[in-house]
Amino acid sequence: MWPTWINMLSWWQWAILLAVPPAITLLYFLKLRRRPVEVPSTYLWSRTVEDLHVNSIWQRLRRNLLLFLQLLLLLLIIVALLRPAWRGQKLIGHRFVFLIDNSASMRASDVEPNRLEQAKLQASALVDNMISGDVGMVISFADTARVEQMFTGDRSALRRAIESIEPTDRPTSLIEALKVASAQTNARQRTSENNEQNTEPAETLPATAYILSDGRFEQVTESSLGALTPIYIPIGTPSPANVAILAFTVRQDENQDRRQAFARLKNFGTKKSRVEATLRLNGNLYDADRVSIGPGEVQGIVFDVGQIDSGVLELEIETHDCLDADNRAWAVVNMPQPADVLLVSPGNHPLELALGTERASKLAHVVVEPPSVLETPEYETAALGGAYDLIIYDRCRPATMPQANTLFFGRVPPVEGWSLGKPVEAPQIIDIDPNHPMMQWLAMDDVLIGEGRPIGVGPGGDILVDSDAGPLLAIAPREAFQDAAVGFVLVEQQEEKSEGRTTWFIRPSFPMFVLNTLAYLGHHVQASGEQTVRPGRPIMLDIAADNRSVLVAQPDGRTVRPTATRTGQSSFSATDQLGIYEVRANGECVSRFAVNLFDSNESDLPPRQKLDVGFEEIAGQAGWEAARREIWRPLLLLGLFVLIVEWYIFNQRVSM
Amino acid sequence: MSTTSTLLSPELLARLEKMELISRKIFRGRMKGERRSRRKGQSVEFADFRNYVPGDDLRFIDWNTYARLERLFLKLFLEEEDLHFYALIDASASMDFGEPTKLRYAQQLAAALGFVGLIRGDRVRIETLGQPSAAASPVFRGRRSMWRMLEYIEGCAPGESTSLASGVKNFCLRNSGKGIVVLLSDLMDKAGYESALRYLLTQQMDVYVVQVLSAEEIDPELTGDLRLVDCEDGDQTEVTVSGPLLKRYKETLDAFTQSAREYCTRRGMVYLLAHNEIPLEAMITDYLARRGLVR
Repeated sequence: MWPTWINMLSWWQWAILLAVPPAITLLYFLKLRRRPVEVPSTYLWSRTVEDLHVNSIWQRLRRNLLLFLQLLLLLLIIVALLRPAWRGQKLIGHRFVFLIDNSASMRASDVEPNRLEQAKLQASALVDNMISGDVGMVISFADTARVEQMFTGDRSALRRAIESIEPTDRPTSLIEALKVASAQTNARQRTSENNEQNTEPAETLPATAYILSDGRFEQVTESSLGALTPIYIPIGTPSPANVAILAFTVRQDENQDRRQAFARLKNFGTKKSRVEATLRLNGNLYDADRVSIGPGEVQGIVFDVGQIDSGVLELEIETHDCLDADNRAWAVVNMPQPADVLLVSPGNHPLELALGTERASKLAHVVVEPPSVLETPEYETAALGGAYDLIIYDRCRPATMPQANTLFFGRVPPVEGWSLGKPVEAPQIIDIDPNHPMMQWLAMDDVLIGEGRPIGVGPGGDILVDSDAGPLLAIAPREAFQDAAVGFVLVEQQEEKSEGRTTWFIRPSFPMFVLNTLAYLGHHVQASGEQTVRPGRPIMLDIAADNRSVLVAQPDGRTVRPTATRTGQSSFSATDQLGIYEVRANGECVSRFAVNLFDSNESDLPPRQKLDVGFEEIAGQAGWEAARREIWRPLLLLGLFVLIVEWYIFNQRVSM
Repeated sequence: MSTTSTLLSPELLARLEKMELISRKIFRGRMKGERRSRRKGQSVEFADFRNYVPGDDLRFIDWNTYARLERLFLKLFLEEEDLHFYALIDASASMDFGEPTKLRYAQQLAAALGFVGLIRGDRVRIETLGQPSAAASPVFRGRRSMWRMLEYIEGCAPGESTSLASGVKNFCLRNSGKGIVVLLSDLMDKAGYESALRYLLTQQMDVYVVQVLSAEEIDPELTGDLRLVDCEDGDQTEVTVSGPLLKRYKETLDAFTQSAREYCTRRGMVYLLAHNEIPLEAMITDYLARRGLVR
């Protein structure tokens, strides 16, 4: 590629300039004035100089080095005056927003070393192409966007900001990034206007948004570009190989004893892939399987993991693909922690018996108190502080609802929406809701009830037991909790002695119902294995308000203290890393949860060639336009360097 | 006659009085002196016997031997003689450089050595290279001649334009006798010093060559673009003084002095490099004494 030239001088100026080199040469050969010095004898000097003449051509060159340097300097000046320029590239516009995708799919190694590094390289190249006066901003985005560097003309700051972007395992959302970018573009404009005069309305300066991404995100439906001109630079090769684990769960078998691990694998590549799946239980090899998946196919794998109470299952697939993040998945089986249950009752032998079975005591730790406890401040503190998971009110009810799940017998919660109808003699159960966890495996058709009161349930409530008189058992959500109410009593206190008012408690369905209730309202359904969350998403943890010793250990070993809330539930969102998180109380692991990628958008690696933003379609393209790249500045700098060298040689006489 | 001389300080004179000139060869002198000579003669030191031949001095017949052997033998004694000492000073224009000038230094050296010779009763003759071949300089002998000698030496003016070779040749023509000759010169002759030294060799003299250089010649303090003008023949050499050039000059100088030293040593001459910053006393009592010229 030859440079193009622009003539900066007229002919006579050229004539003067071109006369200078012969003049210098002439003057040089006319010789410099040498100072005469008388010496005793030139005998040794002439011999010394004679020695130097021996290798004469090089000597002559060295002798004339200063002349050559002067001519070189002049040549550089002449070339610089011709304003040579390469046909180069230039960024489009003068204000740039570099949007760099650092979501999980950008970890793919189909380009060296990975897509994020490639994107950073390209962004740095774009920054290098900025000319003075251009300003740029750097935003990294996954599912949230982060401004790494505000608008600045400092290219090294931009490069540093680009260099500092770290990969994440999060999903991608371009809309977030575009919102931040357009907000920042406008905000800056407004502030600068404010500084001068407020009379003129804020004018939005146009900016070019370079989106360096693989395009693996949901389509942006709303147009939020504002003054941004988007340019999409797709990163990645068209058909990278990738097999991903899209789901991995552990479920209880039908017969309750055994557990099974299910995994769903998908081949996103274009070639059939053989995959070796390895299952580890608590780090030890437990099972392995080999499947082959055709391009675009989904395959399930089932592992029988037998009876385990708690532990960590890790599934790893071995295959040669470009993204490692989706080749491992974790599932946890948490040891059921006994729920704290308070039974407020004037005396209920059958219920206490059912709560005291071996299986029930595994599920719950039950405290029995008389109704008078409702008046005590200890109860108030404990109930409102979330110390109990479940409070059962037998024939009594509190003035205010506690921060816990509740079950009422013969009463309804003092909450709007709940109502209790008139007593009905011997209501007949006609229907139960077998799909609700509390009613699983119950048969209540053999239950006789002496007297029942139909329950009116508030909005969002479910009727679990229906009778000819109306609902007898209903459940409704309240904030983060569930309230259930039974419209009849089990026993009635009659003259120091309790009498049964139903045959339910002598039927097998009653202890089953109690166990279901403890498992469901005592928060133990989740414990069976659905404790998994996607990276960056929050997870709810049970933490009592006064418990300050709870820490969450991240997969890399760092610990984070979750913020406890009044409700006893804490939203924990430091879930950026993939892997197993341990919830520790007083140093002991009480539960675990897993963070898995499970995102088919991120695992589907081939970069999109065009983006749809609002109603615009952005095709992938190179980010610059042709421009003259002038090189007279480096030429003059080189000339300055030559001048310095000449000066140095003249002074030091490093050669002769 | 002046009673003081700037050539030699009284302290130096005091030291020199204890010294004597040494010749590595035993030469015939012209007069009886204080030196042993190869000639048998009248001294107290016995040398040999020889048969009596008629005409011999009866005073030297060893009568004891005659009594024992009844044959006449003549006892031979070593004769003590005087020594010829020549100092040959190069008074060319090139010697007129340095502080003190090289010529001055050479004069001092010649005066000191001459003084030693005078003290020991040797024949001392001071000459310059530029002297016409016919005009011989006076011979000094005995302590009394000291002032005359110093005066004569002081009278040597720089600016003679005789070449080294012809000056030495003239010297040799004038002085055929044997003895010690000390050549005081910078040896900077474009025709070379070799032929000059060869003349001295043929004289079978005990030759000492003292090359006198100035500090400026050994370590020149020149900078810049210069035209060097030779003070003797006006020859010009253009140089641009630089570090490498100075280094090369010193190499050339070293090679020059080294070749002179080798030339002299191979031919049995003693070579000595002196420069005008070596104190005169050290020069004589240390350098020359080590070379065996004085004791």
